[in-house]
Amino acid sequence: MNEPRARSLLRVLPARVAGLLALVLALGLQPAQATVDPQVALTTWYRLVLELVRHTPTYSPPVAARAFAYLGVTAYEATASGRTEMRSLAGQLNALPPLPTRAPNLGYDEGVVLDAALAEAVAHFFGNTGPTGQRAMAALKARMGATAAKGIAPDVVARSRAFGTAVAEHVVAWSQPDGGAVVSNMGFPMTWTVNDQPGHWVPTSRIVQQQAPLLPDWGRNRPLAMPGGAACPLPPPPPYSEDKGSSFHAEAVEVYDVSRHLTENERTIAAFWSDDPMLSPTPPGHWISILLQIADRDDMDPSRTVDALARLGIAISDGFIGCWDAKFRHDLIRPVTYIRKTIDPAWEPLLTTPPFPEYPSGHSTQSGAAATVLTAIFGAPFAFTDSTHVDDGLGARDYPDFWTAAHEAAVSRLYGGIHFRSAIERGLEQGACIGARVNGLRTLE
Amino acid sequence: MKLFLCLLIAALPAAAQPGPAVPRFVEETATAGVVARYTGGWEQMVGGGVATFDCNGDRRPDLAIAGGTSEATLWRNESRTGGQLGFARARAGIEMTGVSGLYPLDIDADGITDLVLLRVGEDVVLKGKGDCRFERANEAWHFDGGDLWSTAFSATWEAGADWPTLALGSYIDRTQDAFPWGSCTENRLFRPGADGGFASPLPLTPSYCALSMLFTDWNRSGQPALRVSNDREYYKGGQEQLWHIAPGQPPRLFTEAEGWQRLRVWGMGIASADLDFDGYPEYFLTSMADNKLQTLTEPGSPLPRYADVAFPRGAIAQRPYTGGDVRPSTAWHAQFEDVNNDGFSDLFIAKGNVSEMPDFAEADPNNLLLQRPDGTFAEAGDTAGIDSLLTARGAAVADFNLDGQMDLVVVNRNGPAQVWRNGGTGGHWITLALHQPGPNRDAIGAWVEVDMGDHIQRREVTSGGGHAGGSLGWLHFGLGTQDRARVRVIWPDGAASAWSELATDAFHDLERDAPARRFRP
Repeated sequence: MNEPRARSLLRVLPARVAGLLALVLALGLQPAQATVDPQVALTTWYRLVLELVRHTPTYSPPVAARAFAYLGVTAYEATASGRTEMRSLAGQLNALPPLPTRAPNLGYDEGVVLDAALAEAVAHFFGNTGPTGQRAMAALKARMGATAAKGIAPDVVARSRAFGTAVAEHVVAWSQPDGGAVVSNMGFPMTWTVNDQPGHWVPTSRIVQQQAPLLPDWGRNRPLAMPGGAACPLPPPPPYSEDKGSSFHAEAVEVYDVSRHLTENERTIAAFWSDDPMLSPTPPGHWISILLQIADRDDMDPSRTVDALARLGIAISDGFIGCWDAKFRHDLIRPVTYIRKTIDPAWEPLLTTPPFPEYPSGHSTQSGAAATVLTAIFGAPFAFTDSTHVDDGLGARDYPDFWTAAHEAAVSRLYGGIHFRSAIERGLEQGACIGARVNGLRTLE
Repeated sequence: MKLFLCLLIAALPAAAQPGPAVPRFVEETATAGVVARYTGGWEQMVGGGVATFDCNGDRRPDLAIAGGTSEATLWRNESRTGGQLGFARARAGIEMTGVSGLYPLDIDADGITDLVLLRVGEDVVLKGKGDCRFERANEAWHFDGGDLWSTAFSATWEAGADWPTLALGSYIDRTQDAFPWGSCTENRLFRPGADGGFASPLPLTPSYCALSMLFTDWNRSGQPALRVSNDREYYKGGQEQLWHIAPGQPPRLFTEAEGWQRLRVWGMGIASADLDFDGYPEYFLTSMADNKLQTLTEPGSPLPRYADVAFPRGAIAQRPYTGGDVRPSTAWHAQFEDVNNDGFSDLFIAKGNVSEMPDFAEADPNNLLLQRPDGTFAEAGDTAGIDSLLTARGAAVADFNLDGQMDLVVVNRNGPAQVWRNGGTGGHWITLALHQPGPNRDAIGAWVEVDMGDHIQRREVTSGGGHAGGSLGWLHFGLGTQDRARVRVIWPDGAASAWSELATDAFHDLERDAPARRFRP
């Protein structure tokens, strides 16, 4: 590795690895064996994925969550295949057949296996990214692949690459019939019939594409760990009513009143968890980012990291399937529509209202699922700092445990004026139910 | 029983309005003699501009076209008045590779237009020598061309200055191949130097991967501000920007406290025009999928607050209207001009996929949105005949054969540049050129007003905007059925000329403090 390239790579590596490389460069030395630590391969590819999610227009939150699920399973199975203490997810996840196995008594390099698996899987799941994303994937593949192979016998490299690629191909093939493989028109139907009865969702923006709701059939996708999109149902929202004494109206008044008296901290929370598609790694990517930061801080080993990434990815992906199933069953009006009709015609919410029905809150469901899974893995209390948005000018925030973060993510949508309280509280409960199903998987012994 | 309303997503509120007169554009690419391509890969995914200006004193707009990995080229306009378009290649001294954009400007006020070349690499200023010849002037004018991926330009003359102030926008750090996001390089402001030429550039930071810049007097304060349209694909923490550029003061961003509202788009081009005749410009911002048409919410107030009226005005142009590809569009150069001479500015938009982006249309026709009297727009790209499905980037709408009808040139990425002659629709028109002594001879920053009886057409004279290219010279106004034209100029220093009654369907030179002179092509 020449020095400029190495210094360029420093920007994207976890702190501990980057520190070692920086030390090597500072001493003017070359590493004796420049193989890639599997953990470095893992976290470097995931950091690229967080960028690709942000910069690939198809990647709305449900679509991003799906990619995180399959990438997590890919990384997990590539690693688990070489470790006796890790149990394959085949037979545990819906329709996942047994994965390729390693040849007995032959050597594999774990860094090469993982790098090859992720290079293949990322190229597939982000095949529709633009020219810059394609260029970035090619550059990282070449750079990581070359580094990973240094100092290793060619036959081991070839065998490891072939195996990692085979694992990824297996997962990709398994993913294809799940209902989410093809996303057209960025997920918006070309035509849509709006229910014009009171209380139902209507378009809330003047963006042409968003005159139809995002991914109305996503709830019918095959989940990974739960049996179907309706596996974690939730009670209906308060009955729609425009009567001032009704519970529905009371929830709208709460959103309206909160919006008019927002504190600076509440504004910050709304912005911090906004996680807008194409301007952030999306809400599921935010939770993946939190996990990567913890993995870096705690110097987690690859097996523990892939276990957490797989379980978190599955939880948030199933979370969006369950949430979307409920959203289109209830097809509820957004606060901006209701409040302008019944309370204040000139009202403007703090955040831009997303283009799909209100109940339940997607942030809440997926955050509840994420907190359930991460708490099972790391326990509680478990303090962490979330620096996901530092590059975007939003400061880091500290949390004592995952549920505190999940509750904050959920209520941020009330502060933002885009969800009623029922969608938030029932969404968190739905997420907890979905997370519990993921916690039933047997992975790392 | 529930009632249902079926929404056709492509339908827009303005679609049912009666249509304005559609000009017939005749493509003359095959015969006009322009053989130019903007070529290249990743570093040429943006850019591809064209400059139109007169480089040989015959008053006909000549062409300078960016070539990317190919040489930039200059084309003398040899069109006969009212006849077919014709151009001839001239070896001009601009033939260098790496050029992404070009803007004409008489920097040294010698009456001969100079050129600013935006490049992937060192930017270059070229001094016009006459007869379509240019020579490098970086050193003579103390212009630090840097080594960036430059993508945006605008120029102004600050109050009292005898040398222009240039803003140059740049794009991505091209050394960051695996992680280019968040690597936007620095935009720069070149002000006059103490010893002539330019001073060392000031940083316009934060910089957010600018693809268009425009000095514009948005609030008619007499002091243009700098609008910057940024590509959200690559910035982090960024947004559209508006800079205070006050003489003698460092550049300073308008803040939310001053009324600036955060907007994040794939900003690629800026076009401006006073569409509603209130004296303040509207701004069209090109992007991917939905484009933005901004109008001041409180004209006359000090707050730069804009409402997006693209949707109700039918100017959203979010997807192809012909060609069968229904994926969202990608918009680049935009320009307001009255192409049917009915007295209402129309909007041309160059369209083309970035580079094999599967979520966006590959067959993406250019738009020609004709403005109706009620301010809404009707698509006429196909009926007018400019609905090319090549991958467009830069463009210019200009009257190449000096017949009072606005023609069109479009630069395509990895495809041939195209030219169209406007066959006209019959409305009256008037075309003007401004001249003043001393610096800023072309009166950048002036406003031209044309009295239409019940309203006034106003046009700000700017340098910059669009996508990677701009025009200098004639200013065209359609007049509809009005066969008389009262005209005045608000010169850049705020002095207003007297109203003059000028012949219509004619060209006039408006020299400051002198009677108008008719120019007969």
